[in-house]
Amino acid sequence: MENPEKELKILYLYPDILELYGDFGNIQVLKYRLEKRGVKATIEPYSIGDATPNFNNYDLVFAGGGADQEQSILATDLVKYKNSIKEAVKNGVFFLLICGAYQLFGKYYKDVNGTIIPGLEIFDYYTEAIEDRKKRCIGNIVIEANLPAPTGSTKVIGFENHGGQTYGITTPFGKVLKGNGNKFGDTEEGFFHKNVIATYLHGPLLSKNPALADYIIKHCLDRKYNIDTQLEPLNDSFIDKCRKQLLTRFEL
Amino acid sequence: MRNFFIILIMKFLHLGLKLFHKNGGNFLGKIAYKWNPEIFKYFKVNCPVIAVTATNGKTMTNNAIGYVFKTAGKKVISNTEGNNMDTGILSTLLKACTLTGKVKADFLVFEVDEGYVPVIFKDLKLDTLVVLDFFRDQLDRNGEVESLILKINEFLKTYTGNLILNNDDPNVARLGKANPNNKNIYYFSVEKYAFATDKMKEAGEGKFCPFCNTRLEYEYYQYSHIGKFHCPKCHYGENDIYKLAKNVDFKNRTFQVDGVTYKTRFNSIYNIYNFVAVISCASLYHIDTEIVLKALSEFKLDNGRLEEVTIKGIPTIINLAKNPTGANVSLRILNEDDSEKELLFVLNDNLADGHDVSWIWDINFDKLSNVKRIITAGTRAYDIAIRIQVSGFDEKLIEPYLNLHEAVENLYKTNTKKYVIANYTALQPTRHEILNYNKTS
Repeated sequence: MENPEKELKILYLYPDILELYGDFGNIQVLKYRLEKRGVKATIEPYSIGDATPNFNNYDLVFAGGGADQEQSILATDLVKYKNSIKEAVKNGVFFLLICGAYQLFGKYYKDVNGTIIPGLEIFDYYTEAIEDRKKRCIGNIVIEANLPAPTGSTKVIGFENHGGQTYGITTPFGKVLKGNGNKFGDTEEGFFHKNVIATYLHGPLLSKNPALADYIIKHCLDRKYNIDTQLEPLNDSFIDKCRKQLLTRFEL
Repeated sequence: MRNFFIILIMKFLHLGLKLFHKNGGNFLGKIAYKWNPEIFKYFKVNCPVIAVTATNGKTMTNNAIGYVFKTAGKKVISNTEGNNMDTGILSTLLKACTLTGKVKADFLVFEVDEGYVPVIFKDLKLDTLVVLDFFRDQLDRNGEVESLILKINEFLKTYTGNLILNNDDPNVARLGKANPNNKNIYYFSVEKYAFATDKMKEAGEGKFCPFCNTRLEYEYYQYSHIGKFHCPKCHYGENDIYKLAKNVDFKNRTFQVDGVTYKTRFNSIYNIYNFVAVISCASLYHIDTEIVLKALSEFKLDNGRLEEVTIKGIPTIINLAKNPTGANVSLRILNEDDSEKELLFVLNDNLADGHDVSWIWDINFDKLSNVKRIITAGTRAYDIAIRIQVSGFDEKLIEPYLNLHEAVENLYKTNTKKYVIANYTALQPTRHEILNYNKTS
């Protein structure tokens, strides 16, 4: 076991509510890839009714997507922490935000009835639901994400299922190769800002995208220990075959 | 007159299909419905109509109710093949009715897709509705569970027939309050069983009270979000129980209701729930307990729903799992069995499965009991292999095959007992591949 002393602390927001599409998969993948490298993964959940978390104490904050009704219940809870979240983002804590959480970090979410649910206003983008409830961006999606060196360009494979259309993105997470992205038929997907990745690629995003998972892990370890981490390669043969199979099927 | 001709043509079509040994599925219903969407009104039904709806367990419960009534000597018309949408039920009625639309039977028993209850029973009088459970299921096709529940709730606001509800599912029991004037509400429940847990072990829905948004409190979870719950604020969930199953015993495959010991051919907690629903229904129609006892001890399904087969001397259990709860329940059965075993998991992502396979991350593969090897197959064989690898199962013991035939051949290389889990479009091809393998020398 190398680096026996190393540890990453992950805050998992609303694991009992924002877990509609197997979002827990991302936490499991991070834990798996950390422990295989001998790094301890400490995962601490926070949900409604728990003691106020200190966002600055964590290396990574993760939040997923939930059902509409449950999401509105937690929006009022999350807004209480607006300032400390803002500070943590500024301090470089990594945030991985999926679907509903992605929307909540923007200015607002306007639902199908026209009601405005205020967001955390950490970033300038905003989301509006399409009036026709039945129209949603649903399907397999592949994007080309251009991550900072040394990771560089990587194809990210996932699945999207969202009615909300997100506007005002100046720094997207990736370029759409297949699927919709931030809006119907968009060329851009998600939001990227140094230590923040927000995306509609829901559920187990990291499971099929080891380059992305390792980018996040390296980013967090480098920041915490002020080093240039060299992650030892893992046996990703199932993932490699899966990516090859799917990219061939999608003709990419 | 128009309906008469529609039925006449359908009778001819049905005869034609029969000549070619075709069942036709919901083909007849599809055409008839196109010609007259109000054709349900035309049928003259003079017997009780019973419907079963749920996310999981519809076919099992529907067929068991039908089997109990048949055992009691009643004439039953039922969609036992699982064609459970409007056109499927219409096909069943078209095949069974006279030219004037008369349906002659003692009972009509239908399993109905969750989304179609309000559609079908707008024009066809329903006597009893059985609701078993609501789980997340193919979200990219069906949408969120909540919108399905709200549709059924809306329908129930004016419904006054019998309503048999699972009191251990907060998404189901809430339907009992849809119409305060309906006095025919019957809740069933199952006492805590040996593998129940204090915390939710598998993904589930019941978190907040549907009436006051307070977080629900659970005494225990049987599986997923099924368990003994109540709302600490408005006391939702504290209902009188009509039928309660006690002393669930998987070793002997028995349980008790009203002091009577029932024996079944199944050994899973979710089957106990299905059977308590069946017993509640039989009781409402005054079927003799001795007959219910006999029927449930004989009842089985040979279509990949906990189907037990022996392949070249090797015991094999095949089960459908089209959503996380289905898969988690299958793994419960596997984990509750002490013997050495191997698992085949077949995962497809065709239209009828839902294209999104994210749900496999809601399956709890932790601490599999005495599993020696796992083979994966289907159009998403690698996705499920990755999922199992990340759960901590030794990657050297996982073998993915895109080709199902190859997967089955490799599965039977050893003589270890087999568990097979397959999702919707994977189930029948997997069964055929396994049954064909049995015929090879």
